[in-house]
Amino acid sequence: MPIHFRNLQKRFGEKHVLRGVDIEVQNGECFFVIGASGVGKSVLIKHLVGLLRPDAGDIFLDGEEVSRLSETALYPVRKKCAMVFQNSTLFDSMSCVENVALPLRMHKGLTLEAALIEAEQRLEQVHMSEFARAFPPELGDGMRKRVAIARALTLDPQYVLFDEPTTSLDPISARRVDKLIYELSRSYGVTSIVVSHDLTSIFTIADRIAMLYQGHVRMVGTPDDFRRTPDPIIQQFITGQAEGPMEV
Amino acid sequence: MTIQLEFERPDRERALDKLRAPLLALWRDLAGLYGLLRQTLRCCLAKRPDRQAFFEQAYAVGNGSVLFVSVTMTVVGMITVMQSGVQTQRVLPELSLLGANIIQILAREFAPTVCALMLATRVGAGIAAEIGSMVVTDQVDALRMSAADPVDYLVVPRFLACVVMTTALTYWSLFISLVAGTVAANLIFDLNVNTFVNFSLVGAGDFVVMTLKGLMYGAAIPIVSAQRGLTTFGGSEGVGWATTNAVVHSSLAIIMLDLVLSIVGYIVFPPV
Repeated sequence: MPIHFRNLQKRFGEKHVLRGVDIEVQNGECFFVIGASGVGKSVLIKHLVGLLRPDAGDIFLDGEEVSRLSETALYPVRKKCAMVFQNSTLFDSMSCVENVALPLRMHKGLTLEAALIEAEQRLEQVHMSEFARAFPPELGDGMRKRVAIARALTLDPQYVLFDEPTTSLDPISARRVDKLIYELSRSYGVTSIVVSHDLTSIFTIADRIAMLYQGHVRMVGTPDDFRRTPDPIIQQFITGQAEGPMEV
Repeated sequence: MTIQLEFERPDRERALDKLRAPLLALWRDLAGLYGLLRQTLRCCLAKRPDRQAFFEQAYAVGNGSVLFVSVTMTVVGMITVMQSGVQTQRVLPELSLLGANIIQILAREFAPTVCALMLATRVGAGIAAEIGSMVVTDQVDALRMSAADPVDYLVVPRFLACVVMTTALTYWSLFISLVAGTVAANLIFDLNVNTFVNFSLVGAGDFVVMTLKGLMYGAAIPIVSAQRGLTTFGGSEGVGWATTNAVVHSSLAIIMLDLVLSIVGYIVFPPV
């Protein structure tokens, strides 16, 4: 199993966010993590690349336990497991191409010139090459997200973590991002873990879904399993009902 | 008596807990500051710093603060002369050594400390706000994902720029306050320039103490402020708190360093 969260627990002060999460993700699949806001979805995926450290539990990536690695030892993990953050997190002081070139310089040790040439090619893949010299504040949300995806893919990662990739995007941009995630999985065999609330995305491109509720995994299954389950909490969430048994 | 103690014990424990919590927080804070300082120094020594980032920060810290510091030091220089002159005249009608004494006190105390306090408000707040905003918007995590060490990337250029520019601005502060003091001495006490600008009481030790203070304050401001920025949590409200804390704690660090360095300076380089 390439990715395995085993009994993961995390507490922030008084708040016990993850209370023993067990999830296994298979190779090449497009795995969605869903749940109400603040349930710990982003917290979960940040553990995989060492941006957060668990209070208890283990995380295995390609059979290697990664949760206790030092910051330097995590560099190879972050090289093969990229992340697209919720707010794009491009650096405003750098142009788009410089943003994409940064991991190439730091991870691969390329010179600035070589990194910029490769970064331009990556921007072409997400149809953003004409904005290569633009600065992030000059771009719309959808464009920034595409540049952020280009930056994440620049090192040809085996795994990509997407933190709410379609949030704040218009429906067309959102579907373009969905298509990109789907193609990554199908054409390049990239394993994607996507944290999302976007029901259209979830039921269009997900291979499997895990729902987090009150710090535990409520259910793992295919989109069809989710549609068919009689669990009232899951039904309330996927049908977007305001009233119901779910405590938010 | 025993029964009373049984009842009193939880209260006493609660009181101890109340005392222990801030002490533990202070200890964690100091440990965090020490850790960041150590990591910053290690990064400074390990590889050549990014020159472009250094010059950008040096410009922001130095050139951006010149006017602010100059205005403040002009006022400080003038008020110091006025107050010192008035008080000296109560004891002696003779002011020929007023300039010599004031230059010494400006060099040892006011130029480095007041300048650093001004920089703590302007530069410290800026560092904490910038790094804090990057933390709450995950930009620092994005740096870590790119294999860029946030300390090396964000703290080191600011640290080096602050150390260099605070020291430079300390000398500038001495010059400006001296010029302003000379003008004030001439206007208020009718002292001419040759009488006021008197370095007879100023020795090399005074300049060593001044330079040392400039360097230490220049190191304290970015370390305290960056540490506040890097430990920001809780969105824009958190950034606000980090910024406020950066200013308060950098100023406090400067005052504490002033005490220590003044005592050490007095022992190692006693005033002439």
